[in-house]
Amino acid sequence: MNNRLNAKDLINVGIYTAISAVICCLVAMTGVIPIMMVLLVVFVPILTGIPYMMFLTKVKKFGMILILNILMGALMWVTGMSYYALIVGTITGLIAELIYRIGKYSSKWHGIIAYAVSGLYCWANYIGIFFNADAYFSTRQNFGQDYIDAITKMLPPWMCPVLLVVDLLCGVIGGWIGSKVLKKHFEKAGIA
Amino acid sequence: MEYRIDRDAHSLLDPRTKLLLLFTSSVFVVGNAGEKWMFVFYWILVFLPVLLLFIEKEWKAGIISIAIYIASFYAQKSLQHDLTVFESALALMLYIITKILPTAILARYIVKTTKVSEFLAAMNRMHVTDKLTIPVSVIFRFFPTVMEESKSINDAMRMRGVEMGAGKAAEAVEYRMVPLIASCSIIGEELSAAAMTRGLDVGKKRSCIWNISFGFPDVIIITLCLICFIWWIVGRFYI
Amino acid sequence: MINFTNVSFQYTEERDCLKNIDLTINDGEVVLVCGPSGCGKSTLVRCVNGLIPHYYQGRMTGSVTVGETDVSKTTLRKLSRHVGTVFQNPRSQFFNVDTTSELAFGCENFGIDPGDIEQRINAVVNRHDLGKLMDRSIFKLSGGEKQKIACASIAVEPIDTVILDEPSANLDYAGICELRKMIEAWKEEHKTILIAEHRISYLFPYLTRALLMNSGEIVKEFKAEEIRSLSEEELHRLGLRAEELQDPADISIDMEEGKTNDNKMVLSNMKYSYKGEQPVFDIPQMELPKGEIIGITGTNGAGKSTFLRCLCGLERSCKAVLKVDNEVWNNKMRRRNIYMVMQDVNHQLFTDSVLDEVMISQRTEDREEALEILDSLDLKEYADKHPLSLSGGQKQRVAVASAIASGRNIILFDEPTSGLDYSHMLQVSELLKKLRDNGKTVIMVTHDIELIKNACTVVIPFASLKK
Repeated sequence: MNNRLNAKDLINVGIYTAISAVICCLVAMTGVIPIMMVLLVVFVPILTGIPYMMFLTKVKKFGMILILNILMGALMWVTGMSYYALIVGTITGLIAELIYRIGKYSSKWHGIIAYAVSGLYCWANYIGIFFNADAYFSTRQNFGQDYIDAITKMLPPWMCPVLLVVDLLCGVIGGWIGSKVLKKHFEKAGIA
Repeated sequence: MEYRIDRDAHSLLDPRTKLLLLFTSSVFVVGNAGEKWMFVFYWILVFLPVLLLFIEKEWKAGIISIAIYIASFYAQKSLQHDLTVFESALALMLYIITKILPTAILARYIVKTTKVSEFLAAMNRMHVTDKLTIPVSVIFRFFPTVMEESKSINDAMRMRGVEMGAGKAAEAVEYRMVPLIASCSIIGEELSAAAMTRGLDVGKKRSCIWNISFGFPDVIIITLCLICFIWWIVGRFYI
Repeated sequence: MINFTNVSFQYTEERDCLKNIDLTINDGEVVLVCGPSGCGKSTLVRCVNGLIPHYYQGRMTGSVTVGETDVSKTTLRKLSRHVGTVFQNPRSQFFNVDTTSELAFGCENFGIDPGDIEQRINAVVNRHDLGKLMDRSIFKLSGGEKQKIACASIAVEPIDTVILDEPSANLDYAGICELRKMIEAWKEEHKTILIAEHRISYLFPYLTRALLMNSGEIVKEFKAEEIRSLSEEELHRLGLRAEELQDPADISIDMEEGKTNDNKMVLSNMKYSYKGEQPVFDIPQMELPKGEIIGITGTNGAGKSTFLRCLCGLERSCKAVLKVDNEVWNNKMRRRNIYMVMQDVNHQLFTDSVLDEVMISQRTEDREEALEILDSLDLKEYADKHPLSLSGGQKQRVAVASAIASGRNIILFDEPTSGLDYSHMLQVSELLKKLRDNGKTVIMVTHDIELIKNACTVVIPFASLKK
């Protein structure tokens, strides 16, 4: 089989990026409840697991996972998260690509781990708040110290690695749920 | 009446200019680079997307966006001192809206006014690989499809009376997601088949029916973006 | 020239889709490939446009050549310069979002000079009077309009062979008339045309030959005159549709006067308009007889589907009320008491087994009753299967089973027979009659003349309501 990506592969990447992006958007909209801001790293990895595991059944060549991640990162960036999503997304996409490749593009657990790793672009959105907290708020000095304290109370620096672990764990859970749904529905229906 | 295709028909800006503007907006509005030093440019970049909407005669969307922006801007300003945790979280949310909204409008403007064909050609001229541009153009094409499909599924759920209470969150997700992904996957298969029988392939030279070139508005916007970056660099390294 | 030499093909191990096909089609011929669903006609045409073996994997033996090219030894891209395809589903065959770019898409992929493409587009648009459809979003077009654009975009390409894979499946009378004009134009240009279809009468004037397929084999070859002279019964026996091309507005059925049910439901204030546009329909009051099979007929894009959505209570902005017996149903009540079988049934099947699908509709889950319902619809053997793995007709019956399980008495159908061959259409028709016998009221929108004649007991032309 030819290992060059063809139009079908790229169209598949586009389709699953679109589905994942719509889900991310819907989840992000629930950010009306402020605590959801933090819970993004819980809900996004869990919910996008289903389309992602379906996507992985279409992945048989090098590059598709990486491209999907670059696009998700770029979409995150332009819709107002931070450019860390793009940087982290590219790196984790590459790692995920390698993990899934080791699993010969078919192993379920390699797929789940690949998903959890690639999903770290979601966590990357918070890097800005942690590393650049001063810059993040300095432009808004009219917020006053109380405000900044309140925010930093909600997101103390030690939360940064915690969120990373949470994101990874939720990624594994989401990937696992995704592979369950894949088996329960799409494989049974013969469309995966 | 005889039809003649107008190959010069395009929105105000070239796709490349739109992307440069999006990039600039991401850096200075969302990313807040340069902070106070960029004050003037910041506000230009905030209101430029709405101006573009008005030029496209999208009055309603433009006015609603401005209203939301101003409302959240002032609401956020009024929440300043002695805030409870809830109030500060609210303030943070409003603050995020004021950051994201302008870029989100710009992104929507770009999706609505850029033709897939035009986009592929413009990216090709900048030597961006097909491996990125084809998926991006499929995303353009597929957003409305995903929306249509999920609306239809949502209708079916309402009609069948399986709208979910809090206790059945898992089903609520499963029942929405499964038909959505199944449908999209089938449409995707057929879409790829159709596109490939029409000669779409990776890394082959395409022509483009639309004349894409930089016009006067492009020059203004590109100059604006360049000045933004130059001013920022000057501020950052020389002052 | 298209040449099949001893071609066999299997998608999977279990089933032969094509068996030992030998076939030669000369340049400029218009060949119909017909036969019941699953006979292999789509598979056959996919061998010509190269989707087999380049896109759909399977086991293929023998060889297909188009002109000088061996299909299996070339690429889809090279083949696409000679062969163009119009597909069945108008929702999924566009790559672009605006219609004009879609017309140019194929030529752009070949790298043809934009000036030439411009001339080709102008010529096609003017010849087929498509000016009104240009520069529009494909998401704002009706099914018939989309199919017109699909045909036009093939017409723009400088190809010599046109493949049509069930192009009329989603088309109404007007749409089919347009499709005929396209085929006529291609014939004048001496293109080779290969059409897989089971609605065939509209093609009669153009055909040079017709091939009848069954279980993957070409069982009979008709000359043009022969197939034209087949009677309705003979066509039906071959599993083909026999409808004459007819404007649904002119259809009348024998409504047995006085025999129709006097118990009528009254629908009032039925009004709907898209934001800021003229109302799609505005019906102050209409009567719907209970216990009948009511066919609402009309053209594509007339708002029939929207009418059903409103009737079912799914459009919030529509404030219609339905009076049934002594109750007055608002939107919410109608959502609970009316069941709609959607055109795309995939959207309303949620669970992982047919049995569960029925059980979630029951007020209190009752396995025995659910199995009984499935049995009455010949679905019992599929109880454990995934609904999405079934055929289109079976999925539809699963939806009906869940409608029955929900205990609702009014069932709506949106184009229940689009794309179905004769025997499947009859099945649907029988199903509708069965529902009526069980006291259900069936309301459907359709442009399928044979279905209307077979099943409907009351026909309401949609155009007559709109005024």
